[in-house]
Amino acid sequence: MTLLPTRNSQLAFSRATFRSVPEMLDYAARGETGVTFYTARGERLAALTWCEIRDRAHVVARKLIGAGFARGDRLLITADTWPGFFDTFFGAQYAGMLPVPVSIPVGIGGKEAYLEQLRRQFAASGAVAAVGIDDLAGFLAEAAAEFPDLRLHGGVGAIDSLPEKPVDLRPLGPDDDCYIQFSSGSTRHPHGVRIQQSALMANLAGITGPAGLDVVIGDRAVSWLPLYHDMGLIGFLMAPLSSQLSIDYLTPRDFARRPMQWLNLISRNRASIAYSPSFGYDLATRRGAMQVPDDLDLSTWRVAGIGGDMVRAEVLERFAAAFEPKGFNRSAFIPSYGMAEVCLAITFCPHGTGFRTDTVDRAALGNEQRAVPAADSADAQTARRFVVCGRVLPGHQLEVRDESGTVLGDRQVGRIFVKGPSIMPGYFNEPEASHAVLSKDGWLDTGDLGYLLDGEIVVTGRAKDLIIVHGRNVWPQDIEWAIEGRRLVKTGDSAAFSVDSGEGERVVVAVVARVSGDEARAELARDVAGAVREAVVVDCEVVLVPPALGLPMTSSGKLSRARARANYLAGLYAPPPSSTKPAAA
Amino acid sequence: MSDVQTGSLPLRTAQNMIVENDDFADTLVARRPPSRGEVMAEICRQLEPFQTDDGAAITGATVISKDLSIDSLAVMDMVMDLEDQFDVSIPMNVVAEIHTVDELADTILSLSARR
Repeated sequence: MTLLPTRNSQLAFSRATFRSVPEMLDYAARGETGVTFYTARGERLAALTWCEIRDRAHVVARKLIGAGFARGDRLLITADTWPGFFDTFFGAQYAGMLPVPVSIPVGIGGKEAYLEQLRRQFAASGAVAAVGIDDLAGFLAEAAAEFPDLRLHGGVGAIDSLPEKPVDLRPLGPDDDCYIQFSSGSTRHPHGVRIQQSALMANLAGITGPAGLDVVIGDRAVSWLPLYHDMGLIGFLMAPLSSQLSIDYLTPRDFARRPMQWLNLISRNRASIAYSPSFGYDLATRRGAMQVPDDLDLSTWRVAGIGGDMVRAEVLERFAAAFEPKGFNRSAFIPSYGMAEVCLAITFCPHGTGFRTDTVDRAALGNEQRAVPAADSADAQTARRFVVCGRVLPGHQLEVRDESGTVLGDRQVGRIFVKGPSIMPGYFNEPEASHAVLSKDGWLDTGDLGYLLDGEIVVTGRAKDLIIVHGRNVWPQDIEWAIEGRRLVKTGDSAAFSVDSGEGERVVVAVVARVSGDEARAELARDVAGAVREAVVVDCEVVLVPPALGLPMTSSGKLSRARARANYLAGLYAPPPSSTKPAAA
Repeated sequence: MSDVQTGSLPLRTAQNMIVENDDFADTLVARRPPSRGEVMAEICRQLEPFQTDDGAAITGATVISKDLSIDSLAVMDMVMDLEDQFDVSIPMNVVAEIHTVDELADTILSLSARR
């Protein structure tokens, strides 16, 4: 098996000039490029040209249509990085159905939490079919038991065994939706973002265009990003497809295990575009450093994108220092900012500048919401450094506003609002949640905080309580629910929040300790940490709140996580006896 | 997936380097199925650094995500390490149902017996 080519021999390069996903796949299918799946050892597992992907998708589409599925019906897919995901995702596009990609279970003992998540996703999407890798067929069946509308579920065979009927394809068109992206809202109340074909095409034009990654002939993409995340699915499937690129994939777990393989693939296949949240660069630096092959050559890597979580300057500096001897060019770094509600991307840094930072005074930032340049930028006690995330995409607008809605000027911190053709029409079947973030005149409240600097955005934090761990959104409610659901503490006696030191985000869970004795207190902390790990696969520091103090409430009687965080930072909460802090990674 | 091409990759230098430098790759590939004692000993060896300060010994009943101070990434590392050592592949649905050291050992044993 030879390597799939980076360039098409005959087909003209066309960058995001299409009106729908089926149109862009039809075009790319006329060339020889495609996608390749690699193992953790760097062996090629399977390769599919865009042409083969299109042909297989047509077969799946005829089976789905033949089985009586209607236009607009939702098809849930467990989005592992495997050929079957491509068959079903694109099959649905040609059958006029809406795919709903969802995550796969991670970690030991996570079954119950995963089933619960599936049930909520079934309910929120109203899916009529659910397919996944064979290993997950049993979980899909168990979760499906309560959903009589789910007419088909199972592994690869569930669709394979349907008869292929001589029916006409009914591809999704420019005015249709494209798929439903789960990434917003808590696990308990998941909100599926409606990704429209037109919004996706607008975002892809921005991503691949001159203000974005400026994709050119000869580019090749390498990705380990999960396909259930907007950065994986849109950034590293749709965007390369929209420009007929070849893509080389590693699964997220293989990347976590052997991060060096990510860089190795870039080197071997002479790739030019790869992206990661900051933590991926960190992992590659820390764990890859011992396994760097002598002939690693990263000189072809022209776009090293960063997105999905707060961009960390220290991490990028360490990565650059470690891999510059291997040809890595630090001016390839492109920090960016976005979210599923805008499909994926809303700002990019310009090319060739690398990442740029702005260091501001911590006190003015905390007390006055102003980003005043720090007097001594080297003093981490008084100064805080942020990475500048670039300008809003052409055709879009971005504003920073204060609580009263007044548009703020440079260096004033407020809520970030965006508007333009990439913005979602709303969450699927969730008018209330949609109205909460979308104004009548089309502005989206991102829930993020930041300030402008000469037209570029600097993201400083979040107005909402959302926690982001390794690029994954975790809602504090889900953590608290996991603890309280197991009756480790009573309802209202736990608060989860993150603490950001500038180096990374750490999860802290404060629980009211209504037990006495060192042993019981240590046991409580251990149980809480274990419950959180099983339910949401997050490691946390547990601290104990004296019952007399309790957890802080807002004036309307709701838990105030912001004040709980302030109390924690002020040292009001005690570490448990014989510390159960997570071991150093 | 019957029409998916599979095949071995022509060896290239960068890949060779990785495999050579990979201390997990070519360790102990047992020809005979391991005994339960061997599997337990290996799991305990891997989990030892994560014992909590209260000094409770790791036993078959130890709940991995609760009784130890091991973080999620380290758990997955350990699972993959054990997979390499005993030359088995634990499906993700099976991993999701494992809670205790005993369950982990039994899973590895039954998979390696089937090999």
